[in-house]
Amino acid sequence: METIPKNEEQTKTTTSPAERLAYSIQEAADMLGVNYFSVYRLIQRGKLKVCRALRGKLLVPRTELLKLLATE
Amino acid sequence: MNYHRPTELHEKANADAMTVFAEHMSQFKGVCDALHNIEGNLSTIGNDALKAVLLSPGRVIQTDDGAEWRHDVDLSKITSICHRRTAAGLEFAVVECLPLKSGEMKSVLNSGHNVQDLLREFMRDQRQVLNLWKDDVKAHVREHLGEKYPGQDMGIVVESFEIKMARAISETRIVAHQSQSRGIRI
Repeated sequence: METIPKNEEQTKTTTSPAERLAYSIQEAADMLGVNYFSVYRLIQRGKLKVCRALRGKLLVPRTELLKLLATE
Repeated sequence: MNYHRPTELHEKANADAMTVFAEHMSQFKGVCDALHNIEGNLSTIGNDALKAVLLSPGRVIQTDDGAEWRHDVDLSKITSICHRRTAAGLEFAVVECLPLKSGEMKSVLNSGHNVQDLLREFMRDQRQVLNLWKDDVKAHVREHLGEKYPGQDMGIVVESFEIKMARAISETRIVAHQSQSRGIRI
């Protein structure tokens, strides 16, 4: 699993979306083309692995998103 | 628990966070309402599924693991109750057809031989998902307010978000309980 950037805001401003290492649920939902609940459901079922950032928010590593999109 | 009276700044911060997280809150309420609807009609949905098994062969849905299921009743746009015949008898499943940008992902969310138990297990899992969602939004709200109002105690605003979402989750349980009680009296 890839390392999650410590400061997500910094990553947002310095890299393009395609180069980001991890995404919020909102962004992951947009990339997958589904609603937020479906993303949380994938996480709860272990189909999408996530990391917790410093303050507890969930981040989806890009590799996990690519894995999910590639297997379908 | 923070029992301080909210100040004007708290009100402003709350309004601001409600705007920033409007899409989350709107989708969350929509999902809670949909689950509330299912939970209030568990018996009817279960009976409809059983009737569907008897009356109609149902279209075939092949899940990604290769298993073939027959469609009985829709629970939402992307989830439905299906059945298949096995050596151990009739087996029911909640099947999700998730329309990912890369293609449809068809999976069994829950399965079992008793359709009512299956629905209860499905609802329990959906509440767990809602709690995961609630905790994530809470973390986002806390971070957002921490950045926008540094040095200010915004705990009361974060709590108000958590309470709103927790209430929406628990309301589905209360309505289902009332609905079951009504059923017993009749």
